[in-house]
Amino acid sequence: MPKKKAKDRQGIGEETKGTISRRNVLKIGAAAGAATVLAPNVLTSTEALAFQDPIPSEPVICVTPATSPPHHPFVDEFTAPFPAVDTPLNPQPTEFANLGAGEADRAPHPRWAQFTPAHFTYELKARPGLHTFHSDFSPTYIWGFNGRYPAPTCLQKYGKPTIVRFHNNLPVSTTTFGRNEMTIHLHNGHHGSESDGFAGDFFGTGFWKDNHYLNCYAGLNAFGGNGDPKEKMGSFWFHDHRAEFTLNNNVLGMNGMFLVYDPTDPGHEHPSAGSLQLPGYYGVTDFPVILVDHRFCPTENGRTELVNAAGGDKFIINGKIQPKLTVRRRKYRFRFLNTGPTQTYDITLIKPDGSVGTMVVIATDANFLEHPIPVDAGANAGNSNSTTAPIVAGGLRVSVAERYDVVIDFGAFPAGSKLYLKENRAMFVGNPSPDPLPPGLAIENVLLQFNVVNTEAWFPRDTPAIPSTLCTYPTLPATDNTFEWQFVRDPVGSVPRLFKINGFAFDPEIPRHCILQDTCEEWLLNNNVGGSAWVHPVHIHFEESRTLKRFVNGVEVPVAPLLSGRKDVNRLEAGQGALIKMQFRDISGRYLIHCHNMAHEDAFMMVRWDIVPDAAAKAACDALMAQGLKELGSKVRNEEVA
Amino acid sequence: MDIRTMFKGAFEPHPASPGVTRYTNAVLRTQDNKEVRFYDDLIRGKQAVVNFMYAECHGACPLVTKTMIATYNTLKDRMGKDLFFYSITTKPKDDTPAALKHYAETRKANLPGWYFLTGDSFDIETIRFRLFGMNHPGFDLDSAMHAGSLRIINDATNTWLMVEAFASQKTILKRISWADPQKSYAERVVESRARQILINADVKKYGYRRDV
Repeated sequence: MPKKKAKDRQGIGEETKGTISRRNVLKIGAAAGAATVLAPNVLTSTEALAFQDPIPSEPVICVTPATSPPHHPFVDEFTAPFPAVDTPLNPQPTEFANLGAGEADRAPHPRWAQFTPAHFTYELKARPGLHTFHSDFSPTYIWGFNGRYPAPTCLQKYGKPTIVRFHNNLPVSTTTFGRNEMTIHLHNGHHGSESDGFAGDFFGTGFWKDNHYLNCYAGLNAFGGNGDPKEKMGSFWFHDHRAEFTLNNNVLGMNGMFLVYDPTDPGHEHPSAGSLQLPGYYGVTDFPVILVDHRFCPTENGRTELVNAAGGDKFIINGKIQPKLTVRRRKYRFRFLNTGPTQTYDITLIKPDGSVGTMVVIATDANFLEHPIPVDAGANAGNSNSTTAPIVAGGLRVSVAERYDVVIDFGAFPAGSKLYLKENRAMFVGNPSPDPLPPGLAIENVLLQFNVVNTEAWFPRDTPAIPSTLCTYPTLPATDNTFEWQFVRDPVGSVPRLFKINGFAFDPEIPRHCILQDTCEEWLLNNNVGGSAWVHPVHIHFEESRTLKRFVNGVEVPVAPLLSGRKDVNRLEAGQGALIKMQFRDISGRYLIHCHNMAHEDAFMMVRWDIVPDAAAKAACDALMAQGLKELGSKVRNEEVA
Repeated sequence: MDIRTMFKGAFEPHPASPGVTRYTNAVLRTQDNKEVRFYDDLIRGKQAVVNFMYAECHGACPLVTKTMIATYNTLKDRMGKDLFFYSITTKPKDDTPAALKHYAETRKANLPGWYFLTGDSFDIETIRFRLFGMNHPGFDLDSAMHAGSLRIINDATNTWLMVEAFASQKTILKRISWADPQKSYAERVVESRARQILINADVKKYGYRRDV
């Protein structure tokens, strides 16, 4: 590879006609790579470099190939995305949209006086960039925040409200499958609807928009101050939520992590007041694990472009294909996040002898479990959450948008051991493993290789044992209302056959449920409706839910331990249902419930519901809902054509 | 003359348009028995709304047609100039151009810029798969399934959208506008300012942004 790049570089100057040539692209790719290798810790300079990257030329997308190009396993290093660098904002953020300075229209930020961002603010510019998914590949055209995939990670603290200024610097005209309009959702923040990435509130190129993240605990009205600390969450992520183009824009790279720390989970490992002392140095002993499937075009003209198709044959983990990570003989925290766009992962830890290792789950969807739950194929096989086919012994099933934080202890393995993260599906590799694999493990199933080494003197010591109690959940108040959401693709013979919720295709104009603020509801999420054969990871914006009951084919079953925690993505496999309870506190606005399989949400499996501030607004919301129903009712629905 | 057509030469496809590889260039016949090629004459560089129907359908099709007439009336100034409606029959063997003309006339849908199309049944099946296919044989083989949705295409911007025909007029018009050629930044600033006034009024009235 270096030889080829050097040869290409000789020709610079012949074909630079104002725009960037492929040779310059190669040169920049090489320069960026060098900076990363030489100065891994100088974050500001590499971020600055990203800002200066020229806009790459548009990709030439190929006809979908049978397979992506082959790659060599375990070449690239597994790393955490760079932390976002806090930036003073100019102009200063304001409560009301600053149209004069180029902000997009929006409702005012709620609770601004109490939550004026005083400290760290961020600026993330969505723009085209080049990312190398594997050293065997040439750079790939992506849309990333600050031109990066994965986006820089925002490292946050409870009690420090912040603004992330999202710029839309996407191309005005594009030949890609992306849509150059965006609306960024922080999954699953407790904040105003104007900062929630409502799918209909997207803004076009040239504008920017301030998303106001309160970084507060839910329960502001009831508990005062910064809310109820029992509502603590950790592993958030942000992503584009543009109606009908969520899949496209996310495949192009528009997502990233957003971690919020508090005294129990402070982002370091020193003994400090209230700290659980979990592995906690970001990028050192605490890693996001961002999963996505991609398919690639053959390398041509110095680029390896993404194919416009769901269902990839390469599994990407933090932006790399089959990378390797050197781990010390101690505990590490991994925060799994599946960004889809559509497929569910079944992840197991494979030990050198081929048996399934133990992963201790400490958090589900950003919420600590009250007690950690170990998952493996032996004594803890019953804790696996892959309970429907394919059943993966000791596997952790992660559907799109679900997050699981696990702790893996490498202390028991001697230096030189190699462990593997295995995915149940197979990818296309095209080359043998450079290392002998444990018995029973095929290279096509490997996501990541761990190389165990002795802990060097400079490396942080191991953390104490994981506490047996991580948190206490808040007590839920009495239920004010119950509601059912049915997730179904229209049955055969009906017209049309779209993915819907309660018979509704997504309509940003009409709410389908109105909720009085500061009340508590029980919702039945039902995927046991005529002819449903699909997995729907159901995501509810705004607050976390507790699972009261789970159903399989209408029959109540015990709630699996891993599903008993607080969640914001309730995975419903075919025939399953969940009775959940959640509150709607502190802020009014338009929010969403949707299937997080991005192909399904883009095919309309998404519904708007409103939190209304008072009885008058509730009556008005109910009237709007009724008007919407009337419009639908005036036409024959679900009627056979013939 | 509409300013749009005045400055626009021949309809130009977007450089990334999949062209005939997706749309096919099948020869179809309009209700006036005129021969047209699907991509070159109907899609190339144009914005179009496509649905499937058949003349003897008494369930959803007339309702969808009714919805489309309402949409047509709102967008009348653009119809036949840079925006077109195509209603393609799913039963080409029964639906001759004359039968489709009769259907259009009785529904008061025989309007400029709106073509009712028939042709070879293999071609039409192919177009239906290409336009409404969900890559799932269980759904795609069911010829009844796509009658209630509208495919919105703008070949000049390579935009590809769908809307449920049973959605509100407001939603349908909005979806069609999502496929419009992108407006200039200055135009969008004007729009954004107008919307902000409505948002402020909404927040004052309901306590949250509700209708905008």
